[in-house]
Amino acid sequence: MQKSDNRLTPKDLINIGIFTAIYFVVAFAVAMIGYIPIFIPLQSMAVPLAGGIPMMLMLTKVRKFGAMLILAVVVGAVYTVMGSGIWLLPIGIVSALAAEFIVKSGKYQSAKKAVLAYGVFCLAVFGNYMPIFFSRDAYRSFVIESGYGEEYADALIRYLPNWIAPVLVAACFAFGILGGLLGRAVLKKHFDRAGMA
Amino acid sequence: MTAELLRGDAYQGLRLDPRTKMAMVFVVGIILTAGGYGGLMTYVRPALAFMPLLLLLLSKRWSAAAFYAAAFSAAYLGEIFLLSSTFGILNFILLASVGLFARFMPGLMMGYFLVSTTTVSDFMSAMRKMHVTEKLAIPLSVMFRFFPTVREEYGAIGDAMRMRGVSLCGGKPLKMLEYRFVPMMMCSLKIGEELSTAALTRGLGSPAKRTNICRIGFHAQDIPFLMLSAFCLAAYVRWLIANGGGAW
Repeated sequence: MQKSDNRLTPKDLINIGIFTAIYFVVAFAVAMIGYIPIFIPLQSMAVPLAGGIPMMLMLTKVRKFGAMLILAVVVGAVYTVMGSGIWLLPIGIVSALAAEFIVKSGKYQSAKKAVLAYGVFCLAVFGNYMPIFFSRDAYRSFVIESGYGEEYADALIRYLPNWIAPVLVAACFAFGILGGLLGRAVLKKHFDRAGMA
Repeated sequence: MTAELLRGDAYQGLRLDPRTKMAMVFVVGIILTAGGYGGLMTYVRPALAFMPLLLLLLSKRWSAAAFYAAAFSAAYLGEIFLLSSTFGILNFILLASVGLFARFMPGLMMGYFLVSTTTVSDFMSAMRKMHVTEKLAIPLSVMFRFFPTVREEYGAIGDAMRMRGVSLCGGKPLKMLEYRFVPMMMCSLKIGEELSTAALTRGLGSPAKRTNICRIGFHAQDIPFLMLSAFCLAAYVRWLIANGGGAW
């Protein structure tokens, strides 16, 4: 064994890479629904919910500091390249750091803390919406300029009034918790029984 | 004995430095999804959208190039002809699919180009030359190698389900999540174990500095692509300043 057990070994890093890939694919597939403007608010529920299973499994495979953080940095960076705005990455890093300290406080053994941590982690999804709330006019003209037309832009803006921002934050958190619980349930039902978690 | 033989890959097309490819993925991705229109951007956008096609052709990925050319021109023509003649819900749905193609396809194809023409060793040595910590470099290289596997396994699971008559038409989304996800993650975990054993055999965890046979470096063929990337990035920054930070 290595001298320090809290260091991320190459095995851990490879596992993180695999779960990052799964998380990314799942989140990307689910986030596609946001292309229809009515469904944009639904992103804040669907992404945390679907990502819960890979995240919970990762947290049982890699019980060390840094797994969530690395996932957040990589996924956030790829999403930034794909055009989700500049907010996602910094918010993702902050919320992943907070989540890291929560799992750490449970000594990486507490299931409740892991679920709570994933809820906090999911606050990053709100980073996607930030351009709409913080630079509404610029966002609207950007959408129109991009060739989407006024009709589309107005629909988008109409479905996301300012008062909905705290609701979205709460939804990210609540559905993160739900996703975490779902992940725990799946883990218990399948992976514990097969001796893989 | 040339390095080509030792590498063992049969790649014959244009050889670019992985860092050049990464820079171009970055530029194409960001500018086409977040960049604006008008001014210099009128020329930058088509140039960047054309880039994946050029690179795929130069690296002899004929079928991918043909797919990209067909899909992109269909989306482009759709944008011109269909959108102006439809409205309401139909218009939204068309916008969604057309917009998706026009904005994400070039970036995704660039990503495909990067992954399919770069070996893991090349990638790792490029990462080390850029002084990226192993904590990011290893997950990243695993991740990019893993995407095709995810798709393959997903298809295999679908086949197995169909063979056993498990159909998802019943409309149980949670069940579907379970039946699809669980086997996929089981085999992903196994693949991960194999991967880490293979990596350990190659000395990934050892405290000594790893050597690498790949000769990474910028050559003449990198220059035009790097210059084009730099120019497009400059145009984008100029647009950002002119538009007060843009929408982001």
